[in-house]
This record gives sequence, C-alpha cells and structure tokens, in this order.
Amino acid sequence: MRRGNPVARWVGIGFILLWSLIPIYWAVNTSLQRDVDAGARPANYVPPHPTLHNYASLLGIGGVASDLTSQIRRSILNIFVECGAATILTVAVAVLAAYAFARMTFRFGRVLFYAVLVTMAFPAYTTLIPLYRIMTDLGLVNTYAGIVLVYISGFLPLATWILYNYFSSLPRSLEEAGLCDGASRLQVLWRIVLPLARPGVISTTIITFLAAWAQFLFPLVLSSDSSTQPLTVVITSLQARHTIPVTLLDAAGVLAIAVPALIALALNRYIVSGLLTGSVK
Amino acid sequence: MTRPVRRIAAVGTALLLTVAVLVGCARVTPSNQTKGVTITVALAGPPPGKAALANFTRQTGVKVRWVQLDWDSLQTKISAAATSKTFFADATDVDWSRVGEFNVTGWFYPMNNYVDTKSFAHDMPQLSSFVVGKKVIGIPYDTSFLVTTVNKKLFKKAGISTTPTTIAEYTADLRKVKASGVAHPLNIPFSAAEGLSTYWYEVTNAFGGQVLNKDYQPQFTTPDSPGYQAMKWMVDALKQGLVPPGNIDVTDGEGEQTLMAKGLVASTFGDYSGTVGTLYDDPSASSVPKQVTYIRTPGVKAPAGNVNNPDGIGIPRTAKYPKAAAEFIKWFIAPENQANFAGLHGPSQAISGFAFPARLTALKKLDENGKLPQGKQVIDLLTKGSHPAFPGAQPPWYSQFSNSVYTNIHSAAVGQESVDQAVGAIAETVKRLRGEA
Amino acid sequence: MTNLASSTRTSTPTRPTSSRRRRRHVDLLPYWLVLPLAVVIVGLAIVPAAFTAVEAFFRVSALDPPTRFLGFGNFRALLDTPEVRTALGNTALYVVIGVALSTILGIIMALILQAPFRGRSLVIAVLILPWALPGVVEGLVWSGIYDANNGLLNSVLTSLHITGGYSVFLGPHRLLTIALIELVQVWQITPLSVLLILAVLQIIPGELYEAARLDGCGWWGQIRRVTLPLARPGIAIAMVQALVATLNVFDQPYVLNGAATTGSSLMMQTYFVSFQNLDFGAGYALSLFITVATMLLSLGIVRLVYRRVEF
Repeated sequence: MRRGNPVARWVGIGFILLWSLIPIYWAVNTSLQRDVDAGARPANYVPPHPTLHNYASLLGIGGVASDLTSQIRRSILNIFVECGAATILTVAVAVLAAYAFARMTFRFGRVLFYAVLVTMAFPAYTTLIPLYRIMTDLGLVNTYAGIVLVYISGFLPLATWILYNYFSSLPRSLEEAGLCDGASRLQVLWRIVLPLARPGVISTTIITFLAAWAQFLFPLVLSSDSSTQPLTVVITSLQARHTIPVTLLDAAGVLAIAVPALIALALNRYIVSGLLTGSVK
Repeated sequence: MTRPVRRIAAVGTALLLTVAVLVGCARVTPSNQTKGVTITVALAGPPPGKAALANFTRQTGVKVRWVQLDWDSLQTKISAAATSKTFFADATDVDWSRVGEFNVTGWFYPMNNYVDTKSFAHDMPQLSSFVVGKKVIGIPYDTSFLVTTVNKKLFKKAGISTTPTTIAEYTADLRKVKASGVAHPLNIPFSAAEGLSTYWYEVTNAFGGQVLNKDYQPQFTTPDSPGYQAMKWMVDALKQGLVPPGNIDVTDGEGEQTLMAKGLVASTFGDYSGTVGTLYDDPSASSVPKQVTYIRTPGVKAPAGNVNNPDGIGIPRTAKYPKAAAEFIKWFIAPENQANFAGLHGPSQAISGFAFPARLTALKKLDENGKLPQGKQVIDLLTKGSHPAFPGAQPPWYSQFSNSVYTNIHSAAVGQESVDQAVGAIAETVKRLRGEA
Repeated sequence: MTNLASSTRTSTPTRPTSSRRRRRHVDLLPYWLVLPLAVVIVGLAIVPAAFTAVEAFFRVSALDPPTRFLGFGNFRALLDTPEVRTALGNTALYVVIGVALSTILGIIMALILQAPFRGRSLVIAVLILPWALPGVVEGLVWSGIYDANNGLLNSVLTSLHITGGYSVFLGPHRLLTIALIELVQVWQITPLSVLLILAVLQIIPGELYEAARLDGCGWWGQIRRVTLPLARPGIAIAMVQALVATLNVFDQPYVLNGAATTGSSLMMQTYFVSFQNLDFGAGYALSLFITVATMLLSLGIVRLVYRRVEF
C-alpha cells in the first residue's frame, strides 16, 4: 500500500485512535461524575457537573483520612516499591547474564540459556501453588522481598532475552579495542557495552516495570494484608466491598492506569523497539 | 580475580547463603505464651474500636494485629496457608458453610479444647452451625441470618397496606408495585456466586423444606419439592420482569444492596440481617433512609423461619500463639463486648458495619437502650425459627456443591437450561460428591 | 560464538599478568555473571514447574489425604467434570475468536500505519496504550461499557434506536458473552500484533510493489500478492502471542462474568479446582494440560504460517 487513498487512511487512523481511547475515556468520564449523574439514562457522554471529589475522597485530600484512604495510599506506595525494586534488580541481573550469554562460551551456558527461554513458555499459573509453598518455606509471604523475588523470576527470561539480542547485535570491534587497552571484561561491559546498548536497557526497564505493574494474581496470593498489597489488588477487593459507587471505583481504576499510560505515551519508542527485539527470533 | 569480579563473587555468595539460611528456617512451633505476644487476627470485616482493643491488651497482655481482607480472598488464604502448613493468622474466619470441610481437613483446633461452649450455648442461637459431632470448629462472633427486607414507602405507593405473610401474597404485591411504576421491584443476585446459593436456601426454606437431607441426599429434584419450586419461583420472577434483567450480573452484598439503597428495587427476599442499621438508614450511603424494614419472611401458608448465615472465628492449626488467640476469642464473644461492638457505648468501641451481636443478652441490652433498629422484630425473627441451612452438619464438599448450585441457577436464569435441567445437574454433582466422600 | 575472553587474554602485553593467569584454568567469570540468574530461575521457575509436572500425576487433595500416585487419574476425572468440559469449549472459542480478531485487526492497523505520515509516532503511542494497562483494571473499565443499567453500549444502541431498550449483554447468550469478554482481551493484545506485523511490513522493499503495479495489480492485488505473503513471519509471531494470551485468559472473564459457566475459562477452573475444591493434583494436571496445549498449538501455527522470507 504505497499510495493509499488519503481519505481512507485518515478514516483508518481515526479508527485506531477511537479503538484505543474510548474505553479509557469512558472510565475517566465516569470518575469525574457525581454518583447521581453516573446512573443517568442515556449515559452522560461528558460529565455534567465535573468534580474531582472521587479522587479527593480516595486519596483523602482535604477530608478525613478513612480506612479506605489509608489503604489506597499505602497500596500506591506498595506498587511503586514492588515494581521499582523488581525492575532494578531484574535489569541488573539480566544485564550480567545476557552479557555472559552473548559474549562468552562456557560449559552449561547454552543449556542454561535455553532453560531460561523455555520458562517463558510456562503459563504464569503453572507455578503459582508451588511458588506459594516455596515462599512460605522461606518465610517471605506478605513481604516486599517475596513479591519482588517472584516478579524477578517471572520477568528475568524476557529481560535477558531482549538484552541478549541487543548485545549480540553490537559490533565486537569496540569491545576488542577496549580489552586491548587493558580494561577488564567487566569494565568493558560497564564503560563500552552498556552505553552502546542503552536503548536496549531502557526498553527492558520499561517493559519490566509495566509487566510488574499489571500483576494481579501473584500479589493477591502472596500478600495477606494492606502492608504489601499493590493498588491493583486493592481495587479488585474494593469491588467486593459494600456500596462502593461506580464513580469511586472508576477513579481508583484511572489511578491504576495513569502511570502505565503516561509511560506508554512518553516512552513508546523504547517499548516498541524492546518488544520487537524480544519477539522476533 | 579482578576487583569487580570479587565484588560479584561476594554478592553471589551472600545470595546463596541467604537462601540457605532461609530454607533452614524451621517452621514455627506453636507456643502457649500469652503475655507480651502479638497475635494476628484476620477477618473479613473492620476491627473493633481502638479503645476496645486497648482494653483487651490491658486485661491480658496480648497485643492484636488486625488484618482485614475481602471474604473471597480470605477463604483462598485460609486454604493456601493450611495446605502449605504455614502461619497466616492466629485467629481467622470460619464460615458456617466450610465447617464440614474443616472438620475433615482438621485445619482448625476444636474450640471446645479452649472454651467451655456448653456454658453459653443457650445464649448463642447460632452456635449449632459450627458443631460437628463433638467438635466445635469455630465460634460465631456475630448473629447473621437471611431476612426479607421491604421498602415500605414503595409498597405504600402501590396501595399495599398489609404486610404479606405468604409467598403468593408477596408475589402479587410485587406485581402491584411493578404496576405502580417500579420497573423491577424484586432483588435477586443472579451472578454466579456464593450469594445466589444462599438465596436459594432461604427461598427453599420459605417454601417449607431444605435442599439436602441429613444424609446429604438431594431434596429438590421433583417438581413438587420446595427446592424445585423455589428455583422456579426465582427464575420465573426474572423472566416475568419482576427482577431487573441486569441482575444476572449482580452479586449479593455490594451489588444487590446498592440497588436497594438507591430505591431501584422494592424488596430483597434473602437480604442480610443488619443491613437496615448499617446501610439503608445511613443517609451518606443510602437515598432511602427510614424507608426499609425487616418483615417476617413469607412462607407457604404463614411466615417461615430464616436461614442462618453467621460468621465464626477459629484458631487455625498453623497459629503461632493458639492460647493467646483463644484468650482473644473469649473476649471477642463475651456479651458485654458484643454489645459494645454493636455501638452500645458509642463509636469508639464499635465495629463499623457489625451485623448483630452473637449473644441474646447483648441483643436484649441493645434493644433496652434503644440502640437496635427495629430491635423487637430482630429478636423476634432470630428466636422464631432461624436455623441452619442444612439439617446435619455441612457436607465436607460444600464448596463444590455450592459452585454447582450457583452456576446452574445462573444458567437457568439466563435461559441456557431449564429448571429441570438445572436441578438434574446439581443432583448429578451431589451424586458424584457423595460417591467420592 | 568465539570466546572473546580467550582470544584476547594473550593480547594484553601492557598489563603484568598474574601467575594465576598463565596457568590453564577454567574461566570463572561467566559463571559468576549468570549465578544470580541461575539461582532465581532454577529456584523459582524450574523447580516449581517440575513440582507441577510431577504432582499432576498424584492425588494431592486436602480433603482426601494422603498424597498418592494416580497416573492419568486426575486428567480422567477432569474430563468427567461438566464444568471443566464447558470451560474447555469456552476456552476453544476464546482462542479462535481472539487469535482471528487480533490478527485481522493487527494486519489492518499495520497497513494503515505502514506508510509514514506526520504524527505517526503519536498514533503508535496511543495504539500501545491498551497493551500497557493492567488486565484487571481493563476488565473494570469495560464493565462500565457493557453495564446493563447505564453502560455506554446500551446508551448508544438505544439512542440510535438499534435496540428497543436496555439489554443485558453478558450472560444470556453464550456466544455473545464469550465474544464480548474476548473483545476486551483483543483490545489488550492487538497492539503487540500490530507492532509485530508493522515491523515486517517496514522491511518490504518498495520495488516489489512497483513490480506488482506494473503487472497490473491494484491496491488489493498488491496486498494479496506482496504484503500478506511477505508479512508471514510477523503474522505468525503475532498469532503465537495471541494464542498464549487467549489460552491463559483469566482476568477478563473473572472480572466481567464472575464464576458463571457461560464464560468460564480453563484457567479459572484451575483456580477453582485448586483453591475451592482443594484438589491441587487436579489443579496441577490442568495447568500442565494448558502448558502442553500452548506449546503444541504454537508449534502448529509456526509450521503453518511462518515462512522465512529472503529479500
């Protein structure tokens, strides 16, 4: 389709934008309405009396801090701590291993590499129950450490694979030059390879962070109270509570999607390149 | 080794050592200590007021860490912790429906080892739901039963002046309410969830029977049986437009009570006791304050009794401090504290959303002090034929049975199968489960 | 892969080599580098997976101790359970609808985005939004669209007089319910399909289109004769990712339709069988089945669709 019909193309682009944005818009629209307006028929396509009241009462701004607000605040802190720690550690471990896989030959290296890739094919659920047992044996249930460890084990394969592909695509000549100048291999990794593979590291970081943010089932099982529950888990438990109006629920939902949405909009270039590197073999 | 390598080696070794140490951590053995320990209490509701808990710590030296979870994930956690034999709480929820299962699995200490339950059985109407043979698996910490709620104002508007006492009258009244402008007056939560099963037990009870007999044989397969009639009544109510069509995705609790609190429906046949005080009369959450009332559940010829739905508390085998937990449970179910939780001495000691006290003495005290909305009716309902959903103890395979119940009633409601097919499928499941057990 | 380390070790005359260096020894550095990864992956992915694979053949039930060998008993019992059979059918529908829809939409959107235009990167940014959001929250967001009492869909259809009044979408008709639930998942997985197909489209040389045009191919002819055959590798990978997602669908039906059999998926049954029936052996068996099915079907797609293309 080198020269398509321009009208058809703009119709197509309009379709893509609407497809992606309507559901998100609808949640935002509902969250800005009063409970009374949200029940209207036909529905209000824009908030008739826009209000930030739902967000204020969720976050306890300018009002009394109830159980709910302290729980929401804590869960926001939790999700940042868990996703942040998991991302940093995953990328650090993946960088070291991917460099070894891409640039060194050692016994069992291939075997381990393929084993790591095979774990990518496991459905997450396959390991949920045994993982729970292992975590309880280690005394790590309901701790940040436990949740972060499980996240790392889940996201390491993809991170290692993306970085492996980035490292493999770099020309060796620069590393050889560095070694000739007497740098150790780790100095070469730190000073030469990482700066060159920077887009890859950034992509891996973002994709890992987004994947961690989207988790639900593992934290649901591994955290037993609000001290470690991330926002996604708290939101679904809200649904089971008494008479939480839909406007408040949607406000909580919008809170949970705001961070990944901003990341996706601002850093989409890195996400695209990382995803393509990760899935084209 | 170069310096960075040494550093990595150190980190790696540390990692391995940590794992080794952690794996070496043996499981906690339970301790009988009480003074100075902190116990974890995990329930599906909020804690008592801070003042009340401080009192308890003063009396016993036991500190309480309160964990509140939603009911469904709490049940999952109880199973997960028990099967992996790990600590999760010192005292936690024992739902009446899982008593049979817990009896078989032995996941909870029998409470009669710790508390003399015989001494207060007469003051605790719903204790019997937790007794299997000689074992008491848990102790109810509130009184909760299914009950019919009616929006008086909407009924009056339809010209209904007398309270319906039979299902036929009740159904005719609902039709009048529908004709008077409430598009879908009856509330039934048809979403495939536990609440739909419970609702069916309540309606079956109103039709004069129970769903299983003492030997767990199905009592709902013939068209003249109460269980069959109850299911048909529920499904027909939806088909005839008495129930909002959207209710097939509405769950019990939150979903159905919102409809009632907004005045969109006029009656819930199997509502939860306590909702009038905790929700419908609360102006911040309800647009129908002072309009909803409990009525005696309509029956075949006269009002029927109600089905119990109490929340119990017990001590899981994986508890660290079972004795301290028992101290807490004794305190938690004491009549004076139960009255406090329901707001006898104001909100500083109360539990928000607390259904009703588990003790009759506490209920009467509240009523005397004018702290029990529609107190006479409540005590009346409770003492006149509120009883367990099953004649024997709950079957150990209750969860699977209930799953079959609610998925099939849901299927019948959405028209995927007839009532005949639904009762057949449930009976088939019971047969399979009885064969296994 | 040549060993970079050994090839350069001799060429470092500027540094005094330690005596240890000169002796032949096993190069330990790569082992230290992969150690943290090995500990985590073996301990938290491979060991648990092995647990699952082994215990799938045992009776592991809290209600029926002790643990004992069953052979294929768990699998047989699962196939005899009506709920699991229904879920199997539902999951097959999820997979067919999800893979077909996300692939078709992926091809269409990739074609729209194929030629550069001003603001394309912004459109791509908006396109990947649904992929980046948590599935659970997406279910919540879409429930506001499907809602029977005041959802967007009802509101629009009624205002346009397409339907006579407000209706219930989720529940009454199995196929409609499954299609609508799957639409939410398609919304989530399509962006990745678009990216994968678009990446392949970008490297198709323009001459091929020219040649096709000279042969008298119109717009559709070019797509059929040039674009689709050459995009096969991208389409195959897109289909595989859609397959993995749809076979494991859990969040969307669970949030939108509860435990109802109408939309219950195999993954949901795994959850119920394990945590509600406490029959962990059967839960393991079901997850093992899903894992094996995922691998076999992925291989099938790759063999049917994937063609290496050389330009």
